[in-house]
Amino acid sequence: MAIKFPSDKWIKELSSQLNASESYAQVAATWEGDNIFIILPDTDYPDTTYLYINLQHGKASNARQLSSLDEQKALFITSAPFNTWRKVLEGRLDPIQGIFSGKLKLVGSMAQVQRTPKATYEMVKVAAQIDTDFGS
Amino acid sequence: MNGYLGKILRVDLSHSRLWDETLNEDYARYYVGGSGLAARYLYDMLDASTDPLGPESPLFFLTGPLVGTSMTSAGRYSVCARSPLTGIWGEANSGGFFGPELRYAGYDGVLITGKAKQPVWLSIINGQAALHGAGNLWGNDIYATQTLLCETLGDPKVRVACIGLAGENLVKLAGIANDHGRFAARTGLGAVMGSKNLKAIAARGTGKVPLYAPEEYKAVTNQILALYKEDFPSQSYRAYGTAGYVNLSHMLGDLPIHYYQMGEYALADNLSGVDLADKFLTHNTACHKCVIACGRETQSPTYKDPKVDGPEYETVGALGSLLMIFDLEAVIHAGHLCNLYGLDIISMGVTIGLACELFERGLLTSADTGGLEIRYGDPDMVFHLIEMTARREGFGTVLAEGNATLADRAGVPELSATVNRLEVPMHDPRAYLGMAVTYALSPRGACHMQGDMYTLDLGQSNIEEVGLEPGDRHDNTFEKGRTAARLQAWRNLYNSLILCQFENPGVQPLLTVINAATGWGLEAEDLMTLGKRIVNIKRLLNIKLGLTKDNDRLPDLLVKPLREGGAAGYVPDIPTLLAGAYAEFGWDPESGHPLGDLHL
Repeated sequence: MAIKFPSDKWIKELSSQLNASESYAQVAATWEGDNIFIILPDTDYPDTTYLYINLQHGKASNARQLSSLDEQKALFITSAPFNTWRKVLEGRLDPIQGIFSGKLKLVGSMAQVQRTPKATYEMVKVAAQIDTDFGS
Repeated sequence: MNGYLGKILRVDLSHSRLWDETLNEDYARYYVGGSGLAARYLYDMLDASTDPLGPESPLFFLTGPLVGTSMTSAGRYSVCARSPLTGIWGEANSGGFFGPELRYAGYDGVLITGKAKQPVWLSIINGQAALHGAGNLWGNDIYATQTLLCETLGDPKVRVACIGLAGENLVKLAGIANDHGRFAARTGLGAVMGSKNLKAIAARGTGKVPLYAPEEYKAVTNQILALYKEDFPSQSYRAYGTAGYVNLSHMLGDLPIHYYQMGEYALADNLSGVDLADKFLTHNTACHKCVIACGRETQSPTYKDPKVDGPEYETVGALGSLLMIFDLEAVIHAGHLCNLYGLDIISMGVTIGLACELFERGLLTSADTGGLEIRYGDPDMVFHLIEMTARREGFGTVLAEGNATLADRAGVPELSATVNRLEVPMHDPRAYLGMAVTYALSPRGACHMQGDMYTLDLGQSNIEEVGLEPGDRHDNTFEKGRTAARLQAWRNLYNSLILCQFENPGVQPLLTVINAATGWGLEAEDLMTLGKRIVNIKRLLNIKLGLTKDNDRLPDLLVKPLREGGAAGYVPDIPTLLAGAYAEFGWDPESGHPLGDLHL
């Protein structure tokens, strides 16, 4: 059954699938940094939602939906409107293209992102495999 | 004449004559400045009989209407001539402060013909130009030359464009240096300068560029400046330089490895710009009015060269991964040697790369090289070959003629990594298929600065108003060819204004800047028209110099699929891509000639 995006259940599913992925474990072996994904409202989504996931050395933990940014600090914060996230998850927007063009607004350690771009790609690849319900 | 000083300094070195010539206002209106305007001027001065290294060969230093103003990243100058390396149109441009200073000294450009009987240098100080004997400068490297001229003129703010040993020795890979270690590197124009016995040009002035609407200009340039303080690409360039792209490039298969024959190699990540910044960066350097400051000044503990400029991404590729050298310190030192002697790093690296490949295949032996064993992964050999090339010593005399000549000499032109005899830069057209159009149709041979499809498809230079939007990098279609052609036109406008390609404020801000500078009253659609016109004049000039449609091709090496990495299995569909590009430019599909009103 499809999992609603964005939701606490969805980010936990991402965590679970990342932990099951050997290729993610390999390419993200040097990745150190937790993330908050901010899903901003647009025509198809009325709220602002915060999803947290801790990613360390190819493993994910502590994934959950946050009630606000005050609840948790993170090394990386990536924000975009709902439909931009949807494009990324449906493979219609390359994540690096999204970051470079400013469609995905990334705040955090650029060194980490630039040194290990494969980790970002692989995470998105895993996320795209989740059976996701975007609500329409 | 707003946006221009309205004057070109003419120099006849054969007769030690200097005079001012009024800038052709019509030419400026139709071809803007930089390489576009130079092409219009040189169209009337060059033909197939012009010897690029002969006294009659014109050498044009030219700025553009935004250079030396408050516009960010517009501090560049172009150098143009018939290339001694390729035999076709030669252009190179460089940042720093020399371009602005030339304008403050009172000139939009300097057009040089003839050959001095003895080495000379040219001073241009506040509207006064003079030639001086350069006996004491000849033989000096580019850094010493700049220092000596500042001391001679008693002013540390004098800006100098000069050649090193490579230019003096007519090495066809020689560039022209300015502002410590910035270079107008490509197409061998340092050799043209050397052939004229012209060691350097020193400029200093206190003048200002006249603007049509100064207040509006200041307001819009301030707005543009603000755009580049916080956006992701600018932050990345500031933090890690152009080499910050290495890891991503490697992942995408864009970084050439083992002379363009490998798509992936684990050690390539050792060349990361992030590591470069962490371990070797001493400080950033910036061009005139630039807030990005992508320039690197580095020092390697092992080699201890003082104040090394770079390495840039191209250096890391051409003197690193291409040659199977994965030690950043060795790359820093090799780049420094090229700078010191005034060599184009891309062409030098790609020519050494071919020597390695020929040696590996047994097509070149130590009997051909004076006993040298030229192998991949040997930094000491690379250092040695760079020195030999600059000095034209031993096998260096062969390398000094470039990659295509070496391939011809070995009887394997199919192993040359050149387009129209200019060495291919460090962006693989199998990773971004649109780059096939950029390279095949570039007016100066293989050149990434004539249409950076890798930044467009990466999302970095998105200019939707003129149909330049990021796309699928592996799109192999007619429409991709059209997009690549539009980008080539757009970048030719940039190379004429002259603007750094890291700055992409969009059509409306750029239009406001140009109109506020010049008073031309351009509309948005005029910008692409200007760009295409500039592409066309260079195309026509190249046709005059002997180029045909058959020259619109990629080297064989780059149309063979890679076996591994992010570009594995892809090759550009050249006929389809070029058909799209021809259609976009409005060229005759049969002859490849520009059609319509060319404003000649």
